[in-house]
Amino acid sequence: MRNRNATAYRFLAPYLLIFSVFWVWPIISSFMISFQATRTVPWRFAPGFNWGRLIGDPAFFNALKNTLLILVIQVPVMIALAMVMAVLLNSPLLKARGLYRFAFFAPVVVGEVAYSAVFRLMFSLDFGIVNKLLNSIGLPKIDWFSNVTPAMALIMIAVTWRWAGYNAIILLAGMQSIPEDVYEAATLDRVSKLKQFFYITVPLLKPVIVFCTVLSIIGTMQLFTEPFLITERGGPGGGTETLGLLLYRQGFRSLNFGYASAVAYTMAALAIAITLVQLWLTREKQ
Amino acid sequence: MAPVTLNNVAKRFGAFEVVHGANIDIKDGEFVVFVGPSGCGKSTLLRMIAGLEDISGGEIAIGGKVVNDVEPADRGIAMVFQSYALYPHMSVEQNLSFGLRMTGNPKADTDRRVKRAAEILRISELMDRRPKKLSGGQRQRVAIGRAIVREPQVFLFDEPLSNLDAELRVQMRVEISRLHKELGTTMVYVTHDQTEAMTLADRIVVLRAGHIEQIGPPLELYENPDNLFVAGFVGSPKMNFIKGRIVGRDARGVLVELAGQEKTRITQPLTGTAPEVGSKVIVGVRPEHFGDAGEGDADLVVGIDVIEHLGGTSFLYARTVHGEDVVIQRDAAKVPETPEITASIRKSYLFDDKGLRLR
Ligand SMILES: Nc1ncnc2c1ncn2[C@@H]1O[C@H](COP(=O)(O)OP(=O)(O)OP(=O)(O)O)[C@@H](O)[C@H]1O
Ligand SMILES: [Mg+2]
Repeated sequence: MRNRNATAYRFLAPYLLIFSVFWVWPIISSFMISFQATRTVPWRFAPGFNWGRLIGDPAFFNALKNTLLILVIQVPVMIALAMVMAVLLNSPLLKARGLYRFAFFAPVVVGEVAYSAVFRLMFSLDFGIVNKLLNSIGLPKIDWFSNVTPAMALIMIAVTWRWAGYNAIILLAGMQSIPEDVYEAATLDRVSKLKQFFYITVPLLKPVIVFCTVLSIIGTMQLFTEPFLITERGGPGGGTETLGLLLYRQGFRSLNFGYASAVAYTMAALAIAITLVQLWLTREKQ
Repeated sequence: MAPVTLNNVAKRFGAFEVVHGANIDIKDGEFVVFVGPSGCGKSTLLRMIAGLEDISGGEIAIGGKVVNDVEPADRGIAMVFQSYALYPHMSVEQNLSFGLRMTGNPKADTDRRVKRAAEILRISELMDRRPKKLSGGQRQRVAIGRAIVREPQVFLFDEPLSNLDAELRVQMRVEISRLHKELGTTMVYVTHDQTEAMTLADRIVVLRAGHIEQIGPPLELYENPDNLFVAGFVGSPKMNFIKGRIVGRDARGVLVELAGQEKTRITQPLTGTAPEVGSKVIVGVRPEHFGDAGEGDADLVVGIDVIEHLGGTSFLYARTVHGEDVVIQRDAAKVPETPEITASIRKSYLFDDKGLRLR
């Protein structure tokens, strides 16, 4: 038995090596760096330096506020939308199901830079199709990039566009695992389709919904691409700066790795905390 | 309570016809069992009565009213599924009351119906449990309870016992029989198990490949099968089939010679037109219709392969000199010790080469 384990570990060794060097070590290392003053060389141990700054930093609280705002609006909207998409995909009336499934999933595999560029074009003030459409139904143009509220909305729209289909596919898989005869029994019980959705589909899908929500929370906590590329590094004036962007700005623009590490650990801690609350709220009651 | 009438009912999936013009008259309060091999269309027929499948042709009437275009929930039926189809996230009590709660039935009435169903099925102490925490038999009871709560005019069962072990199956079979006596409601029951059909049914509908082969009370099917299929399907162990040839006929019947056994000749009285001398026929003999040598009409020499002792009776698995398998039932006390015996045929059935009964 011992021998067999040893062989197994020899096979695992290359992976474990890379995993330790590129995963475990940076995690430990950045934790230690977060306790060091890294503004001047040599770095020195100063626990209060970064963590103390974090507590009083308006830029941090701005980024935190933006991230949480996106989180509480975008994640529920996206999950609800994904749910609707999954129901439509699951409908027996739908023709060319495979095509739709692919179309919904496609945004995930489109290159981030390409998709951001397209969004910038679509939402541009004078030439964008979105403003043209708004105009054509008699609404005023919106300057998506120069005002904070539209800019935040734009970020949420973009993130939702990119990930809703992905979640829909996961939810669809969950829906398809619910046996058909449960619905048939409900139909015979005179339960309407809408009630079947809320009283059967949603409760039975709860574990999958929680899974999607947790994934989305973690993803949104780390949100970076969209505010970096679409609203140009968190513009206007930091109005869409997220924790991910703050981390990047501190770490790779100001080369202040200690502070960036402290931000990174805050993000991770928040993601874990929110996830735990979420799991606790939706736990299976005995 | 209501009669159910199927008038020339057909079902097609695309171009594939699964049920070919079925005519069945189910009386008010009757227990009718659809039986047949896998894939013969039993479930499809039942689901058409329930309204879960469209009807491709013909008419279904429940309580005298044609229901072809009536919603499943408005047909006055309740169905018990093979897989139970319980709501996994609800307690037993919620499972039972779900439909009534969702449709705004008064609470007092809902509670009364749930309580009554729980008492009938003796599941009152399980009310707070989830289906996952129930045994197969208990789940089955809950599924039946959910049907009772609807107070339907017709109960539909689709192989409700096939997921249970043998002992439980017998027990639940008795329960369902008792339920039918207690409620007196029309019941339509699908199974591929002929024992279930024989024990439960007032009348059995034997189906094969979407055709009705015969309809009748269990004993009538047993004693008077219309064709080879019904004869072979009803009864356990199966009826033995031995090839034969008509060697003579007169006004009262025919003389049949068994293949390869020139000395074994059976006289078979017939009221209908007898087939030509020389035509091939099949002689059917039930295992219990073999007697000791000389007891019956004709004697048959067989070699015994295996003897199965069931206690009171034994089954001899044997082979004719012509190589045809036969099963012979004997009292345990009369089990032979020789490897070859002579058995008499006390009663037999005659079928023509198309499988139709000659009588
Ligand atoms: N939705 C469907 N589309 C196409 N063919 C179907 C469909 N449902 C059933 N069939 C076919 O119809 C025939 C009858 O099916 P059905 O389920 O009624 O059989 P059954 O007698 O209940 O068999 P079992 O004892 O296995 O349950 C089968 O050949 C089956 O393949
Ligand atoms: Mg079936």
